[in-house]
Amino acid sequence: MNVFEGAACAFLWAQSQAVELDFWTKARWALWLLVGFFGIFPGIVAYMVWLERKVAARFQDRIGPNRVGPFGLLQPIADAIKLITKEDLVPGGADGAVHLAAPVLVITSAFLVMAVIPFAVGLAPVNLPSGLVYLIAASSLSPLGIFLAGWSSRNKYSLIGAMRAVAQLVSYEVPQVLATIPVVLWAGSFSLVSIFDRQVNQGWFVASPPGLLGFVILFIASIAEVNRAPFDLPEAESELIAGYHTEYSGMRFGLFFLAEYLSVFAVSCLATAIFLGGGMPIPFLAFPVNLLGESAWSYVIVDAMLLAVFLVKVLAIVFVVLWVRATLPRMRVDRLMNFSWKYLVPLALVNVLVAAVWYELVIRPGAFDAGRWMMGTAVTGPIVAAACWGVFAINRAHGARAPVSEQWPSVGRIGPGVGGRGVSRRGL
Amino acid sequence: MLRNLFLVISTLGLACALATVLSRNLVRAGLWLVAFFFCVACLFVLLEAEFLAALQVLVYIGAVSILLMFGIMLTRGVQGTDPTSNPSARLAPGLVAGGVLFLLLSYGISRERGLRTQRSWATTGERPAIEPGTEGPSTPRRDAINNMGKALGVELMSRYVIAFELAGLLLTAALVGAIAVAHREEAFEPSSKGAPASSPAAESASVA
Amino acid sequence: MIISNYIFIGLLLLVAMTFGLAPIALAHVVAPRKRSRVKEVAYECGVLTHGETWVRFRIQYYIYALLFVVFDIEVVFLFPWAASYADLGIFALVEMTIFLAILLVGLIYAWAKGVLRWV
Repeated sequence: MNVFEGAACAFLWAQSQAVELDFWTKARWALWLLVGFFGIFPGIVAYMVWLERKVAARFQDRIGPNRVGPFGLLQPIADAIKLITKEDLVPGGADGAVHLAAPVLVITSAFLVMAVIPFAVGLAPVNLPSGLVYLIAASSLSPLGIFLAGWSSRNKYSLIGAMRAVAQLVSYEVPQVLATIPVVLWAGSFSLVSIFDRQVNQGWFVASPPGLLGFVILFIASIAEVNRAPFDLPEAESELIAGYHTEYSGMRFGLFFLAEYLSVFAVSCLATAIFLGGGMPIPFLAFPVNLLGESAWSYVIVDAMLLAVFLVKVLAIVFVVLWVRATLPRMRVDRLMNFSWKYLVPLALVNVLVAAVWYELVIRPGAFDAGRWMMGTAVTGPIVAAACWGVFAINRAHGARAPVSEQWPSVGRIGPGVGGRGVSRRGL
Repeated sequence: MLRNLFLVISTLGLACALATVLSRNLVRAGLWLVAFFFCVACLFVLLEAEFLAALQVLVYIGAVSILLMFGIMLTRGVQGTDPTSNPSARLAPGLVAGGVLFLLLSYGISRERGLRTQRSWATTGERPAIEPGTEGPSTPRRDAINNMGKALGVELMSRYVIAFELAGLLLTAALVGAIAVAHREEAFEPSSKGAPASSPAAESASVA
Repeated sequence: MIISNYIFIGLLLLVAMTFGLAPIALAHVVAPRKRSRVKEVAYECGVLTHGETWVRFRIQYYIYALLFVVFDIEVVFLFPWAASYADLGIFALVEMTIFLAILLVGLIYAWAKGVLRWV
């Protein structure tokens, strides 16, 4: 980790020699770093934990935290104090330096992802020309941290949990990244700010058949990427104790915990920014953005509106993530991997091509109009539906013919010599 | 000035590379290699090739390092205490090979002539001036810097289209070859067949 | 200017690492520390660890990682294609269809060989 820090310092020094920054840029950055990244984002994440506990409690007909402060609102603070005052245990055989570096790497990855999210007009920390690639690159650091956590603990369950976690993360990263390609194609840029601007003019990207499929794939894959139920096998406590963070206690565990929630927030922000039109309240209207004038006040008002809508959308996605957790049981490990490689990846590949067709039909001819949108939907909608149906049909047929193992029951009709040994579907 | 900055980061990168070679523990060596990749990404940013920097992180730190780690977990040398790997026995040939490679590269680089219209970059002390910003007329170079992904895509789809398709073929060949090799290896391990996946004992088939 | 954005990214890297290391350092000061041999034992469901932990894993994991690398590089090709699609047109779509078809052959091969089956 010191190497990263050293490289970063050298790099910063290098750049500060080459680039002159004006005062306002410096002030804006200081505000983002110290208030945003050190204050607001961790705060949001802390209250997401509170929200999760409340929501999960409601789903299970309980009350949830209500002792610490009104409605249990001080619970996250109590949790933080508890985590910091816990003893910091490192197992005897562990690789100390790597054991420390792993959670720091994971939380760094979660932080870096937030750097390019455009919350409103002019309200993005930075606008990189290849922002989306940067975002995906930053989020791809966390599997390495998770592997190092499991490996350095010198605990069999940690290591197996880490290997499984990494296998899952890399498998779901492929459909997650492929699902963002239609957006790049339609916007013609990787910059998340340009992607937002495009959605102001053309409507939300989710409002088209390939966009909808892309959004669904992105959503499912993102849930798997952040290790949430029903894809939380890495932490399957019934088989792997706590997975890769078994040997982490106190604040080091807290960092993994924080990173998980920060990632949930980040992927919700990403999905909102690239598919759900950022802070736009109505799909095909450029409503608040077209009110922008010369005066500073118009900026303040429009940005406040955009930011509020953005946060509402993010909150809605976070709620769906919690809802999914409260509803669905954990997947079986072989089905988890199958679902990525045999369902999501082929669908996402087809979706890339369908997105190009949509571009030719609707976007290339020029300004947006309803007739062209309907024509595009009429052409691509059936293709998308057929692709989904085809992938499921092939998997059903294939799965019924070749069971995972002789002992395991499989999806599909049970015939003689096929599927589970005397286990009927009704019996399960 | 810029040359010094470049040198600082490349020195750090070289230090990481050296640590990779000298580390006795394979996973730690892999970690040093990741640090080296990161330094390379920093160099890309310094050269205003941020798209390449992002790809460097995505492919090398995000994917290749994972492949590397999984590869290490396949070997016997996970703990770095394997008595069969004796580095001092390979020191001399390694040094000779490294020295020859270094000489070859430095010979090639120092004799680089450059294109007809340009000076040789081997004799250039400073980085060539790159027109940043968006003002003024657009030049190919500025477009390439301001939106590198786009410029790259246009080139890939026009001038390098054959290479692009061949790259796809190569990727598939690599995949198929690896599966063919690995699958055969699987057949040698009868113990792993039919074992339920959920049992951790079966997953880490202990071959110590 | 593009490069100045990366100063922010570098600063953010430092902030993020500080954010990770500071609570651990704080815990180091605040938290109680009573070392004992029992606490240093790896927790494996309450049973003393048996045999070596860092063992060889099955090839299955490696194959998934390999598949991931191949598809990651495919994404590297897809990104510039998608960004420049507006300037290219139908020809690029045909090119990409061929490219994806070639890669899909690899996926189908892996599928047919049964390496995508987690055993």
